Amino acid sequence: MTEDHAIDRAGKSRGARTAVTVFLVLTAGGLAAFIAGVLGPHPERAWQAYLINFLLWTGLASGGVLFSAIMQATGARWSGRMAGIAEAFSAFFPVSFILFLILFLGQSYLFPWLHEDLHGKEAWLNVPFLFTRDAAALLVLYGVGFRYLYNSLQLRFGGASAGGRRFREGLQRRWAGRRIDEAAVRRRATFWGLLYCFCFVLVMSLIGYDLVMAADPHWISTLFGAYSFVKAIYLGLGGLIITASVLYLKNGPDSGLTKDHFHDVGKLFFAFCLVWGDFFYAQLVVIWYGNISEETAYVIERTMLAPWNRAAWAVLLICFVAPFLILINKKIKTVPPAMIVLCAVVVLGMYLEHMLLLAPAISRSPANIPIGILDLFVFLGFFGLMAASLMTFMTQFPEVARLRKREAN
Amino acid sequence: MADDRYLMGLFIEENGAVDAVGALGESSFRIEKVFSPVPSHRLADALKVKKSWVGLFTLFGGVFGFFAGFLLAIFTASRWDLIVSGKPVISLIPFLIVGFEFTILFAVFGNIIGFLFLTDLPRSDWRRHYDERLSGRYYGVLAACPAGREQELEALLERQGADVRRMDRDDPPERAAARPEQAHP
Repeated sequence: MTEDHAIDRAGKSRGARTAVTVFLVLTAGGLAAFIAGVLGPHPERAWQAYLINFLLWTGLASGGVLFSAIMQATGARWSGRMAGIAEAFSAFFPVSFILFLILFLGQSYLFPWLHEDLHGKEAWLNVPFLFTRDAAALLVLYGVGFRYLYNSLQLRFGGASAGGRRFREGLQRRWAGRRIDEAAVRRRATFWGLLYCFCFVLVMSLIGYDLVMAADPHWISTLFGAYSFVKAIYLGLGGLIITASVLYLKNGPDSGLTKDHFHDVGKLFFAFCLVWGDFFYAQLVVIWYGNISEETAYVIERTMLAPWNRAAWAVLLICFVAPFLILINKKIKTVPPAMIVLCAVVVLGMYLEHMLLLAPAISRSPANIPIGILDLFVFLGFFGLMAASLMTFMTQFPEVARLRKREAN
Repeated sequence: MADDRYLMGLFIEENGAVDAVGALGESSFRIEKVFSPVPSHRLADALKVKKSWVGLFTLFGGVFGFFAGFLLAIFTASRWDLIVSGKPVISLIPFLIVGFEFTILFAVFGNIIGFLFLTDLPRSDWRRHYDERLSGRYYGVLAACPAGREQELEALLERQGADVRRMDRDDPPERAAARPEQAHP
């Protein structure tokens, strides 16, 4: 290794360490704000922020990995290195699982139905069963995801050098001990990728029903599960575009990404903007026509009564109307900084959407939308966790972020 | 121009047509029209074709349709004033369906109208300067030159491998149609 290379590498690892430190400081700030909120006069506000962020970032991570699984299952090649970047979101899976278990501590604030007469729904809506089934479902989803990832990573990096990274060295040793039949690994990756897609649909639907829809236990929408996983795909694509854009801006052509990749994945993001809008409307119009009081009360409170009606309009504008009008333009999809802004705004819009669905049930009858500095800190804390997870993955597999020299040549 | 002469270079291969367009672009001759049996990005690039405005017609059609659908639904609902289960007569939520359908319908209308308008269709004189073989597998490059320079233009097209046909006034389309298809040299 030449002296220049050694200095360059040392500088990069210093930069990466600084970034991880910043993200961990954000996480610590979020944790401190959350604990202060829980011990303060309105613990329900802190738990509400926690739940919203858990749903938002879990949807984003599992939706991101879904992109890679779909590419593998369909044999698509157009996504190029985008699929590899999408796999980095799997590093958030263990974090997400632990965050889910912590929800148990806030059950008395997060499940308003604990204090209500459930008219026969007790068999489904009780805390032990809810936590058992949701934890098992998340374990299955993440287990299948990691199994898919194991095969996918073997396909991508099976023959590459581990570069002194401990976790990766373990994987490389395991792969080196077996004869790698590429076709068999590819078949296995496709199988586990398809299984991940299937589990994703079921588990995201279940989480949507249990943690979001059940907050108002007398309201039922059979479409809510589908709405929940479509939202997770939309979020996942947004997260993927933001991550890929940051890597492209940092590494330029060495990232292995081109304008065509951004154009193609931008079209998919546009498509899921429409699908999300469609599911949103499909629920609304059926409830409007049915005009049954058990269904309409939920919608009227969130779309017509203050303070939530303002939030409902903001969600519609931020998550559907604005991206729809902006993404009609072809060129904008190929401009990474513009896409970072657009996707970040959509992610924030989705935060507001989760708040719109949950907060009326958790923070009863507030005069204003209950959003403040506590929510900001908790959001930044979760963002720090997600960014640190991505950085950890890319430290183990730096080829995801930057082409190897041989590939670049 | 009135005294111009028209020559058609016919090609079996796309490469020949692309090369001919390039060579004509560098000469003082004028390219009148280019025919292709299939959509060709290479020919479009060689001709430096500007982005089509058809998309704009489609967009305007769609926007017009969106509002037209709403207005139609509002107009028809307000003719009857029937209140059903306490819901307002003019309700935007269900009218969105009509707005959506009209968006698609008028976007398609806009697209077709834009296409016809921009391609100057339908035309009654489409057989002028046309060779029946262009309806088959041939690429065609129609070029114009001043009277007296036909041989020069013919030589240029032949150098690119074209089967050249003079599209003069004494060579009516019927005669061209009756001519047997020639093998490419």
